[in-house]
Amino acid sequence: MKRKQPDSGDERPVSTPKRQRTKALNGSVNGNTDANLPAGASPSKRVKSTPQKPSTATPATLKDSGLKTPTHKSKAKALFSTPTKATVVSTPSRARNADRSAKKKSARLLLEHDDEEDWDGADRLAEEILQDENDTAVAENGNGVAKTIEAEDEANKTAPTPKRRAGRPKGAKNKRSPTPEGELPAHERYFFQNRAGPPRTSNNTLNKISLLTHEEYFEKMAKYADPCNTEKAFLLDLHHRSFPQWNFEFEQGFNICLYGYGSKRLLLQNFAKWLYEKNCSAHPSIVVVNGHTPNISIRSIFATIVTAVLGADIPSKMGSQPAEVLELLQSALKLRSSQRPITVLINSIDAPPLRRAVNQALLARLAAIPKINLLVTADTPNYLLMWDISLRDQFNFVFHDCTTFAPFDTEFDVVEEVHNLLGRKGRRIGGREGVEFVLKSLPENARNLYRLLLTEIISMFEEGHNSDDEMEGKAGREGDTKDGVGIEFRMLYQKATEEFIASSEMMFRTLLKEFHDHQMITSKLDPSGMEILGVPLPRDEMEGVLEDLVLS
Amino acid sequence: MDLQSEAHGVAKDGSNTQGVYIYRPATSAKAHGERPSKRRKVQSENKEQLSDSSHTFLPLFNGEENETSVELRYNAYRLLWSDQENKIQEVLRDVDSEVLENVSSFVRSTSPQTYDGCIPTALITVGSNVSSLGRLLSKLNDQLTTADEGGVVILESGDAPNLKTTLKNIIRAAVTNTEGNDGYQNFLTDREGPRLLGYDLDLLGDYVKRKGVKKLVVAFRDSEAFDPSILTDLLSLLSSWLDRIPFTLLFGISTSVELFEGRLPRSSVALLRGRYFEIHGASNCVDRIYERLQGDQNGRFWLGRNITGILFEKSNDYFQTPEAFSRTVKYAYMTHFFANPLAVLLSDKASANMQQGKLCEAIRNLPSFRRFCEHLLDEASTEKVRNLLGNDEFLFQQSLEYLETGQQRMRDIFQAVKAIDLCLKNLHISRKSTIPDLSIRALSGELQDSTFMDDLLRGLKTLDSSKLKEFLAIMPQGFTDLSEFQDIQKDFEALVHTYQGMEPLRSEYDSHNSVVAATVVLQRVKLSKSKAKLPEQNIKYTKIIDRVYSLLERYFVETLVRPQDLFLHEAFLLDMKNPLKEIFSPRPRFAIERALASPFDYLISTSEKMEARISAQQPATAILYQLYLESGALVNVHDLWQAFYTVFESEQGDACDERMTMTLFYRAVSELKALGMVKSSRKKVDHAAKSAWVGL
Repeated sequence: MKRKQPDSGDERPVSTPKRQRTKALNGSVNGNTDANLPAGASPSKRVKSTPQKPSTATPATLKDSGLKTPTHKSKAKALFSTPTKATVVSTPSRARNADRSAKKKSARLLLEHDDEEDWDGADRLAEEILQDENDTAVAENGNGVAKTIEAEDEANKTAPTPKRRAGRPKGAKNKRSPTPEGELPAHERYFFQNRAGPPRTSNNTLNKISLLTHEEYFEKMAKYADPCNTEKAFLLDLHHRSFPQWNFEFEQGFNICLYGYGSKRLLLQNFAKWLYEKNCSAHPSIVVVNGHTPNISIRSIFATIVTAVLGADIPSKMGSQPAEVLELLQSALKLRSSQRPITVLINSIDAPPLRRAVNQALLARLAAIPKINLLVTADTPNYLLMWDISLRDQFNFVFHDCTTFAPFDTEFDVVEEVHNLLGRKGRRIGGREGVEFVLKSLPENARNLYRLLLTEIISMFEEGHNSDDEMEGKAGREGDTKDGVGIEFRMLYQKATEEFIASSEMMFRTLLKEFHDHQMITSKLDPSGMEILGVPLPRDEMEGVLEDLVLS
Repeated sequence: MDLQSEAHGVAKDGSNTQGVYIYRPATSAKAHGERPSKRRKVQSENKEQLSDSSHTFLPLFNGEENETSVELRYNAYRLLWSDQENKIQEVLRDVDSEVLENVSSFVRSTSPQTYDGCIPTALITVGSNVSSLGRLLSKLNDQLTTADEGGVVILESGDAPNLKTTLKNIIRAAVTNTEGNDGYQNFLTDREGPRLLGYDLDLLGDYVKRKGVKKLVVAFRDSEAFDPSILTDLLSLLSSWLDRIPFTLLFGISTSVELFEGRLPRSSVALLRGRYFEIHGASNCVDRIYERLQGDQNGRFWLGRNITGILFEKSNDYFQTPEAFSRTVKYAYMTHFFANPLAVLLSDKASANMQQGKLCEAIRNLPSFRRFCEHLLDEASTEKVRNLLGNDEFLFQQSLEYLETGQQRMRDIFQAVKAIDLCLKNLHISRKSTIPDLSIRALSGELQDSTFMDDLLRGLKTLDSSKLKEFLAIMPQGFTDLSEFQDIQKDFEALVHTYQGMEPLRSEYDSHNSVVAATVVLQRVKLSKSKAKLPEQNIKYTKIIDRVYSLLERYFVETLVRPQDLFLHEAFLLDMKNPLKEIFSPRPRFAIERALASPFDYLISTSEKMEARISAQQPATAILYQLYLESGALVNVHDLWQAFYTVFESEQGDACDERMTMTLFYRAVSELKALGMVKSSRKKVDHAAKSAWVGL
């Protein structure tokens, strides 16, 4: 009951006081039944008092008191299936004692079990019963016949509820908390959380909270003192102790893959240093690759390894395809039998730039070269899916759990990632402030052009809002969904010439290029091949910039 | 840590922005002489390392093991493994030889002329044995190149994104195969007339003419992965060049020939003609390797029951190439010699003069040593026990002796296993028994009581004389060397010699010799078996069978001991599940989830603040992850942030810096996103979608 309260705000005032009242009634009824059963009134009364109780009590009492409604018995049986805990509440009555057959006991046991698993249904049921009971309470003032009818109604109402539980009644969905109670098995939890229906989360947004900028993030991060520092250092030290083991594995022709949570860059750096210093006399060639570098190419990796092998006598033409470079490397290593193994350390082999299947296949071929010792690290939990059996065979990995808990500071652009996740783009240039700053340093003409662009786009928003359907409103944040809104290139050019901002297309393009360089405009081709220009800012910020432009 | 990371921050800055670079230490110039202070920690380890860089083993016993034993361990490993490696290669060669012979004779004997202008094509189904094709092709290539007949061009689907690149790759691979990379470059440039493009088959034609190539095999390793349209174009092109270049095609097929044919248009299929070869599954091969490694006559080191279990579980559960299998075995050997100081005893040169206190102490600490001593005490040889405990030299001598006997016991076990396997096969007992099955039982000491033995012994009783002869011939040497066996053998031969009948002799246990009588007793059919009257020779034969039976039973009881009961089994038997399982079938997702859900499993906390609950003491990502676990499929980032903040606020009170907490929150969110646990959602403003469910 309690966990429903925050969600079912409208229901609360109705249900809680009722509940208290039932308790009070319950007590008195218990007292009554203890003393003497008024034959006719008891069933309905009991129904009213604790709606769950009748499930056991009613049929017995009915039979006992020889009351009418022969159908009752069968219906009452159905009542047993209502999952309720209250059944066990003991009201020592003759009727019930008579009815305590072993069969019923076992049925009750089953029901109680059911109940615990499905608290939700039970709770809702209880609430419904309470409501019904409210009705009966009103009707109770009628005569005895009415009462029994009510009781029958009651039975009818409560009986089908278990059926209803399967397909949730309307409204029940919204009342639920997204977290299921108790320990659901993993797959059940998945289906529970992914069931159809509107999202069941609050409508709070981050609008009131000022988000971090890059500057603030780094400033704060520099001041941060990690409480787990010593533990992390200890963990790293543990991993350091396996360096000789890794070296042995290398020597025996295995490649190594390190996984586990945390950035392993420092670990690799230390391993490189260890290897380097271990062989003082002849330093081994170690090539380090950082997988998270945005525009890293496989070819450049291979080319660097070739450089490491051949030193000065690199052929003038290595070939443009990675496969060609790889072949060059293979033949070079084959020729130089005295060449010592090359150690290649790849940070985050599962980073997006390296993740593609083609790249992995090429890396696997690299790993299969006997004189290459490959050590890779993988950060994501599912990286194993990148490799099928033949790739695994070529890689010939041994895996080590190297959880470091080190932050991925160098790997990710944290602020950018978070803003991407939230669908807030364009923060990179500092949003509105950045745009304004750039505009200030631009000539009058450019400022005018930007003003024109903003005016056009904002006016298009207005039109769009009038004509467009619900899509826009529903989809949320402006800057996020209005990416598509933009002005066609030729149209903007025309307007610009009309306002004497640009006299030639050449000049117009020069101005636009300036905006482009500062990422103040976006440009894309629409399906018909026209170039559409847009502004990567949310609408309110656009309005702000425009205001400033006009005022200045 | 702080010092280090800071120092690195500076050193890294330059290199970190680079995608790929050749490692140079920050202060590489003076790396030899003075070391920068920040390397203090690593340095202490290094000093020992620097002195002996000839091998990669570390001294054990907390670094107190002496140089010679470390080296002995290393050499013992190298010798042992190179021996085993040869055996593996032998098995593989043996397995491959048949198909290789067929394919190479096919390649040699066929030509477009014999096939009416069609391209000679070999279709090879590999099934689960993925790696075998690679071995086959490289051997074929060796054969062809050494005979100067041509070569093999191996194409993988990745080499064929479009027709031009495919052709270019074929040409380059064909030329470099014999000429080397420089040769290819020269070949491209040193020619008269206009320069040809890299994908012009004229180049290849020229090459064939110059070198007198008779066979050029183009092998498609994973034919299913090729784009059918490219394959079609390529085939028609190759067939039109067939008069100038002697192509032979080779397709590796993992599914079936019908499917392969179905993917190509009929016109392309019409261009091909050839034969179909089959490579047998990997599991048979794996079994043979295992048998070869473990059951060797001169074996010195064995894998125990658990490891065997893992090895075969792996190769049963999913495709595993024989190479991968032998690598796993290799790793098991590696762990033993790398980390077990007792492994030094396996060295040939383990002699009394290299004994040392530490090693003897280690031996005395073995559970098997304790059991051994208890056993001796039961036999009342207290003096010996005292000696073992007090006298290092005596202990060492004894250990070497017992090691030898232990190893002999192991060899006997595997001999017996092999014999049982042979017998079971010989007796045609319906159940399929494999060497690994039997080995697992034998290694856990359960074979004696298993149904295999029951079947075997029951089967033995029913043998007739001619079969018994075969049976006795396959008995292991340890059995045939027994003097009782010699007697039996003699008696048996004498009996057979005197016996003149056509029918072989049968024992009374044979069903031929029992009569089934059906009688009707009280309206019920009653079947009763009774022994037919046996001729005298058969009775004699029965006696011999009985003797063989009891002798064999005794032999097996004696031989099939539990390896774990042998003294010093720790030195020659490796039976630890763990490093192997984790190293070859890692569970990265589990590791990450565990690290985040209960970070103190990893971060061994020095203070007493270990709590299961979420607390601000945990790393930020772990806190966020635990909050995230409680959420539904859609997460309101604002609420998540509030919850996150509350964790810090409730603990730190007013000292809590909101912006700092938000910084941590940012970092945590970005990490969860990079780990693939959240992704942006368009359903609602400021919401993220959950994309990983724990436990699924």
